[in-house]
Amino acid sequence: MLRYVATRFAIWIPSVLLVMLAVYALAFYGAGDPIKLIFLRAPGDVAYNPQRIEAIRESAGLNRPFIEQFAWYVWNLVQGKFGNSLSSGRSVWALVSAAAPVSFQLALCSVILTAVVAIPLGMLAALNQNTRIDYTILGSALFLWAIPAYVAGPLLMVALIVLLPGVKVPYGWGGIFDVRILLPLVVLSFQPIALIVRQTRAAVIEVLSEDFVRTARAKGVPEIMVALRHILRPVLTPVITQLGLIMITIVNGAIFVELVFGLPGLGRLTVQALINSDYPVILAITLIGSFLVMISNLLVDILYPLLDPRANDAKRSR
Amino acid sequence: MTLVQPNPAIIEEEPPVSLWRDAWHRLRRNKLAIFGLGVVVLLAFVAISGPYLTPYDFLSQDLAARNQAPSLAHLFGTDDLGRDVFSRVVYGTRTAFLVAVVVTAIALVIGTTLGAIAGFFGEPYDRIIMWLTDMAMSVPNLLLVVVINASLKNPIARWMEAQYMATLNPFYRETIWIDFFLVFGSMALISWPPYARLVRAQVLSIRTRPYITAAMALGLSNRIIMMRYVVPNALGPLIVSVSAGLGTAMVLESAFSFLGVGVNPPTPSWGNMISDGLRVWQHYPHLLAAPAFVLGLASVAFSFLGDGLNDALNPRGTK
Amino acid sequence: MTARNAQERLLDVKGLTVEIDGRRGPAVIVDGIDLHVGKGETLGVVGESGCGKSLTMLSLMRLLPNKIKVTKGTAEFDGRDLHKMSTRELRKVRGGDIGFVFQDPMTSLNPVMRIGDQLCEPLIYHRKMAKADARKRAVELLRLVGIPGPEERLEAYPHELSGGMRQRVMIAIGLACDPKLLIADEPTTALDVTIQAQIVDLVKDLRNKLGMSVVWITHDLALIAGLADRVVVLYAGTVVEDAPVDDLYANPSHPYTRGLLASIPTLSDAPTARLSSIGGTPPEPGRRPAGCPFAPRCPLAMDICRREVPKLEPISSGGSHRAACFAVNKALKAA
Repeated sequence: MLRYVATRFAIWIPSVLLVMLAVYALAFYGAGDPIKLIFLRAPGDVAYNPQRIEAIRESAGLNRPFIEQFAWYVWNLVQGKFGNSLSSGRSVWALVSAAAPVSFQLALCSVILTAVVAIPLGMLAALNQNTRIDYTILGSALFLWAIPAYVAGPLLMVALIVLLPGVKVPYGWGGIFDVRILLPLVVLSFQPIALIVRQTRAAVIEVLSEDFVRTARAKGVPEIMVALRHILRPVLTPVITQLGLIMITIVNGAIFVELVFGLPGLGRLTVQALINSDYPVILAITLIGSFLVMISNLLVDILYPLLDPRANDAKRSR
Repeated sequence: MTLVQPNPAIIEEEPPVSLWRDAWHRLRRNKLAIFGLGVVVLLAFVAISGPYLTPYDFLSQDLAARNQAPSLAHLFGTDDLGRDVFSRVVYGTRTAFLVAVVVTAIALVIGTTLGAIAGFFGEPYDRIIMWLTDMAMSVPNLLLVVVINASLKNPIARWMEAQYMATLNPFYRETIWIDFFLVFGSMALISWPPYARLVRAQVLSIRTRPYITAAMALGLSNRIIMMRYVVPNALGPLIVSVSAGLGTAMVLESAFSFLGVGVNPPTPSWGNMISDGLRVWQHYPHLLAAPAFVLGLASVAFSFLGDGLNDALNPRGTK
Repeated sequence: MTARNAQERLLDVKGLTVEIDGRRGPAVIVDGIDLHVGKGETLGVVGESGCGKSLTMLSLMRLLPNKIKVTKGTAEFDGRDLHKMSTRELRKVRGGDIGFVFQDPMTSLNPVMRIGDQLCEPLIYHRKMAKADARKRAVELLRLVGIPGPEERLEAYPHELSGGMRQRVMIAIGLACDPKLLIADEPTTALDVTIQAQIVDLVKDLRNKLGMSVVWITHDLALIAGLADRVVVLYAGTVVEDAPVDDLYANPSHPYTRGLLASIPTLSDAPTARLSSIGGTPPEPGRRPAGCPFAPRCPLAMDICRREVPKLEPISSGGSHRAACFAVNKALKAA
């Protein structure tokens, strides 16, 4: 198992390096001179002192060729040095480690909420295929899938204020046990829920036509147990494989949700960094984001054989 | 035992029902899908004939009539510059369709080509292309694209300006092309992998199916096998994902505009109308509601249509 | 082999009609079938694929796919109509009084569940056994159906067993609660010929040991010659002949049955002899001809066959041999 995880890392590293290289190149050639970016914002006459700028450039190694600078950046990363933010001057590590817990907690809650809500709903829809229940669930899922977080968020806020006039506007962060998390959590989970409802429904319909479900009924197993013991297990396998995709949806969604609801997480940090062309921060966030997705995919690969004994066998024989 | 002539009255066949007619039949019974199709057709009509439908120019400002609530004169009201929101939404439809169609077309061409190469030619192309695909699908794509957009916008603008100075060709003054070029390019960049995967999987699975072997055993030419067996079987899933992809592209474009890296004002796009509306929604909810509603409607319509097509074209899954 | 207690009926199906809700409207698949199984009797149900034999049996357990429905008829099991039972009662019958063995043991066993768990389910739900007791009984059952090393097999997944072993597991599941009736739906079709014979012998053996009734569905007349007491031949959703097994082989009456028997190759055939076959194909559901469904392919077809549907009528003195054919009846009357 350990060797397998190591192999996965080995495959992941070149791809993430390529992505980082792309972002670094964009920063290098696109955004222009980082020193100028800093000093244009700096007070006083520093911005107009070309000699001083050159000196700093020299000492930071920013006059060296592109590939050398990128190698230097990666080498620092390996040592755990993420560099400093261009806009605030604070260490990127400090910024990220302040923001990451907010986003991670939110993402984790969202994954749990999705699993708890979407899998039963998807099953319910499939077991009542082509009835009103099915149409309602499927229609709502398609609807939720299509509504962007930055539209759903404000509209829900309005609705909440109108419906419960006394309530304070849910804005800001107070940990996962604070009421204020509810609205952003719900909005963030809309798309993952829609995705999993549809996946589950399709998977259940597929499994329902399998002979072994008929066998279970012929054995006189009660319908509820047929659903829980015979249908759910084989359905979970294809659904679990969507975890990576869900993670991407959540990471994407977090950008908007954190912005709309004023959560001090990675999403908001991203948007601020974009506005300020703060590339060290953007690079660090890209790294974290793709690490998250990689870990999710790895988790899927580890869980898969536990859920489907046939996959386990196939791997062993390989 | 003697062979008996079959009774001709019984064997007489109804005309065989083709795959597409059959699919249309199933689609027609799906109310959500028909609703989706109706909305898509309507929006496409609006997108094409937009300028002839709008009572006002999308840029004409009427400072005397700012931030008006919806009325007969202004169906969706007016914005902070007194522009008619209805006309802007109609022009936004144009932008949305343009972006969606072009992006999906580019992504489809790239994806289909790479997927088909991977499927048909196998190693080593397969490995390289699939590695690229996996990579593109395993990074937070929105983040990447936003970064690309944000960083390339200024350099390209500078380059265009320089070209204009050098050539005095007025084409280089049309900064709107930068927007479209960047938006198309970066969105296509993250949109192609699903198509590549799909096409590769289709090619691989169809190639080994017994009916292809059977068709080859019958001595049918490669062209006929491609046209009659491979294409119809691969087309269904592709149509489904194109329908879903069009909707996704529209939402994606509005997400870009929302983050300020999409199509720039004053070109109307639903996304930048929404992000403008968000700033004042407490006072003028119609400025948010109108574009948000139309965007939601379009996206939902594509999503219903895609789902209906999926059921209609994969009859196996609907029994 | 003679019918034991054939008078006392365990299963009595009358006028069973099954329809599919097709694209061109409803189509009849099973058209008013009458059949019965006596206590301790083994009934062979024979017909081509698509003749409705599996659907008939599935309809008894109300296990038909969504778009297929029973529209007419009764099916009494032990004096109670299966189609009118509450779902609760029905559930007690399924796997309790009636055991079912399906065609393909690969797809009919749950691939992600251990053999032991699948085998224990009927015991737990019908006998209310505790898990430990159920497992003991499961080991006995596996031993009964001739699976070596039953204790270890309980922990296996279906894909770890061979096809024959899987079908033995299916049979063990069918037998778990000592059913009064075992319905076997082409249980040997997916297996190799040598394994087929083993399974047939196994069921024969178990039937003699446990004294249950068996319905064995097959398209292979030769296979059930040594197994069944009585055979019902189905064609296009109707019973065309119903006879004690020896009688059927010695004296096949319906032209379809004769065609089926003639198409079985025998060792006494000359090596150059052409295998006999029945010309034409059975009618599709929804496109059944007026009159006898076999008339278009029948060598003896007369005018009346294309107008009227023949009824199942006795053709032997005892009335135990019945056939639905105008030509046969005419010949009998003439004789």
